[in-house]
Amino acid sequence: MRTLLVWLAGGLTLVGSSQVALANGWNMPVGVSTLSGEIYGLHMTIFWICVVIGVVVFGVMFYSLFKFRHSRGAKASNFHENTTVEVIWTIVPLLILVGMAVPATATLQKIYDPSEAELDVMVTGQQWRWRYEYLGEDVSFISNLATPRAQINGEEARGEHYLLEVDEPLVLPVNRKVRFLFTSDDVMHAWWVPQLAVKQDAIPGFVNENWVEIQEPGIYRGQCAELCGVDHGFMPIVVHAVEEEEFDTWLAERKEAAAEEAMGIDREWEMDELMERGEGIYSSICASCHQPEGQGSPPAFPALAGNEQLISDKDWHVNKVINGVSGSAMPSFRNTLNPVELASVLTYTRNAWGNDTGEVVQPAEIAERLEE
Amino acid sequence: MWEVVKSVLAAFLGVQREQQRLKDFEKGNPVAFIAVGIVMGAVLVGLIVLVASLAAG
Amino acid sequence: MAPKVPPQPTLEQSSTAAEAGHGHAHHAPPKGILRWLLTTNHKEIGTLYLIFSLTMFFIGGIFALVVRLELFQPGLQFVRPEFFNQMTTMHGLIMVFAAVMPAFTGLANWMIPLQIGAPDMALPRLNNFSFWLLPVAFCLLLSTLLMPGGGPNFGWTFYAPLSTTYAPPSTTFFILSLHIAGISSILGAINIIATILNMRAPGMRLMDMPLFVWTWLITAFLLIAVMPVLAGVITMMLMDINFGTSFFNAAGGGDPVLFQHLFWFFGHPEVYIMILPAFGIVSAIIPTFSRKRLFGYASMVYAVAAIAILSFVVWGHHMFAVGMPLVGQLFFMYATMLIAVPTGVKVFNWVATMFRGSISFEPPMLFALAFVVQFTIGGFSGLMLAIAPADFQYHDTYFVVAHFHYVLVPGAIFAILAGAYYWLPKWTGHYPNERLSQWHFWLSVIGVNLTFFPMHFSGLAGMPRRIPDYALQFADFNLASSLGAFIFGFSQLLFVALIVLCVRGGKKAPAQAWGDYATDLEWSVPSPAPLHTFETPPTFERPAH
Repeated sequence: MRTLLVWLAGGLTLVGSSQVALANGWNMPVGVSTLSGEIYGLHMTIFWICVVIGVVVFGVMFYSLFKFRHSRGAKASNFHENTTVEVIWTIVPLLILVGMAVPATATLQKIYDPSEAELDVMVTGQQWRWRYEYLGEDVSFISNLATPRAQINGEEARGEHYLLEVDEPLVLPVNRKVRFLFTSDDVMHAWWVPQLAVKQDAIPGFVNENWVEIQEPGIYRGQCAELCGVDHGFMPIVVHAVEEEEFDTWLAERKEAAAEEAMGIDREWEMDELMERGEGIYSSICASCHQPEGQGSPPAFPALAGNEQLISDKDWHVNKVINGVSGSAMPSFRNTLNPVELASVLTYTRNAWGNDTGEVVQPAEIAERLEE
Repeated sequence: MWEVVKSVLAAFLGVQREQQRLKDFEKGNPVAFIAVGIVMGAVLVGLIVLVASLAAG
Repeated sequence: MAPKVPPQPTLEQSSTAAEAGHGHAHHAPPKGILRWLLTTNHKEIGTLYLIFSLTMFFIGGIFALVVRLELFQPGLQFVRPEFFNQMTTMHGLIMVFAAVMPAFTGLANWMIPLQIGAPDMALPRLNNFSFWLLPVAFCLLLSTLLMPGGGPNFGWTFYAPLSTTYAPPSTTFFILSLHIAGISSILGAINIIATILNMRAPGMRLMDMPLFVWTWLITAFLLIAVMPVLAGVITMMLMDINFGTSFFNAAGGGDPVLFQHLFWFFGHPEVYIMILPAFGIVSAIIPTFSRKRLFGYASMVYAVAAIAILSFVVWGHHMFAVGMPLVGQLFFMYATMLIAVPTGVKVFNWVATMFRGSISFEPPMLFALAFVVQFTIGGFSGLMLAIAPADFQYHDTYFVVAHFHYVLVPGAIFAILAGAYYWLPKWTGHYPNERLSQWHFWLSVIGVNLTFFPMHFSGLAGMPRRIPDYALQFADFNLASSLGAFIFGFSQLLFVALIVLCVRGGKKAPAQAWGDYATDLEWSVPSPAPLHTFETPPTFERPAH
């Protein structure tokens, strides 16, 4: 009996400390979406069921270890089966499990109902960044890790959101049902934001569906949750949830900017403009494999600086960037970058690090190539 | 036959009386137990599929 | 197990009797290295397996410590992400295929013939071959680390297309080494089944066998059922990489999800392959040191069989986030939850065995008790992971890492250690040093829990697995985990010291080294067990009812 009381006290302490833990980020977040609270509830229910079973089972066990010690002169009794007891401890867990399966099933059904969504966002995983496309709105962009490499290598002090910050967050409205469509350009990735309770694999050749309705404005951070290669740890997700009006304004602005960019395709661009843009794109997209100075890391990632074939054969170069190299880690950038961006990065790589070909690749000629 | 089914069911639950077990092993035909076991395994899977499809609507 | 009257007198069955000229023409065994290369003796092969496994345990452990070293603090300090990924992958592969599985096979080799009263394994030459395939396989696997582009870096689950289209050139060698290890496992399993079904002592029926034998019989069938699936899936990878097929390449019309279905159809029973023999060991140790018969022997056997059957229909719970239809999701959730029932029965039976026993705490019992508690904790987190909606939050985080390490380290590995302590007197004729084993035990328990318990928290707080660097809010948990890992890792050196000491000397052990309640047949032969035992089958006597 005394042991039982000790266990009870222990259990209560655990309850207390778990409430503290909750505040300190030791537990699953309650989250901010319509379903995240429900999922958190399931998590806590099954957790407490486990705690209770654990207290009972370990209670009996430690009681036995204490009470029936050989050194205290305990004499072993001789029983070795009892059908009634065995039936009870088979049926009771079974009932507990059924009791647990019912709410879990109900939640699962809700997760599987993405109907009546007001906004569709296509999320594409790429080694090692996310691309977001607001379907039917002509707005799409790439979201890269924004933490400088110097912080990762310990040359600079680490910021508050170390590894959980991006150059362009996904912007979503609150109180609107948003449907996600997940896919991937290369290997499997998984899009996960704990506060939204959404985790879904992004699989090449497949489109997965999930949805979220965020209830509170704020900035929510997550990470890729499926090993996807060297920089798996460096492709974070940031969701910026804003009020509906703010979202509509933002989307309209992005649409306008996209339209403007499309106009720029036809004009003649200067070398300097393209080089400047190209450098930015190269460092955010290409440098993780081909390295900041274009030296690559053979054999997987060939060098670009001083690459004879690249320098002598522009056509080959353009083709590789647009279509990728099948059977290798080089993806196709046909749908990832627009003609201006493609032209910039091509111009940059053909002229940087002593590759001085002097050639300017114009967006117009890329647009033409893309038509083919 | 019913005895065999009952024993296999008991095995699925993981509970069996010593006397019944001894009886099964003295008199029972192993082939019957294996056959019933396989059938019951399939029935179990079918049952879970049924419950799952009912729940999924 | 049931108390049995050990066959008397025991000494006459030993090799001394045979060597004294009972008409058995024994060739003089080859000397030196050849003796070990050519041996067909189940005890020597068992020893080889165990030494191999221990060596690999340390190699895999070093890889784990590299991982923990890098994760000691945020930032990249010691290794680059390329190498970090190779370390996590190799740690998993080595621990699963080269440490835990061969350890159980080694124990099976040593103990199954002794426990069923057989003179040797049914197929001794095959036994030798199965063992020697292993060093070949894992030298090949380890050598990939030195190849251009490095070794496997796609996780021990090697999901396509990361492991095919995007894999380093050494992947073909990785496939070959897994093939060889797989052949070794299948041959070993065939041998074990043949031995158990054909070579039991006269009078011993299946339901008289010790639970370690029972669990291995069922495990061997699992191995034969799933290792070919693994072989199939890696062959498909081989074709994708080298012969231009597109099994798993979406661009060629293939299906990356098919890979996961095939892998986990192998992978989930594999999990039970690594835990069922552990159940058997613990079911032998707890009654011995509780001085009481095992509670619910028949239920224990049935529960193991039920777990084995269910293990074939739950693979989808590894893939909840892959995007299955709702029906599939529900099916795998329900089936997975069901596994908790037979698993619970086992834990309850162990506790009931201790209840009103007369318990003492020798080293094997300490590890067995830790097994029961810690494995159950791993079982609880497993139950939580089975709840599909909650699994969306747990999946691929450190919560999962905590879960499977709880069932594998203080689960499978503690059971192996418990078994080693339990049978060391039989193997060497000496008891292991008690004080040293207690140090080993307590340091291991503290190390394991300090390593893996905080991982529950870092996972729930949002840390994905297999990342070389992490956000600042996970720093404290990782610090604790790294400290624990080093304590656990280095305390295993004590185990090596213990074994060396035990082989060289120590308190002499009698035939029944652990008293009257350890009544399986292995305790009827002298300690140390002579090279040849049970050349005349013992008569097995069932307890009277």
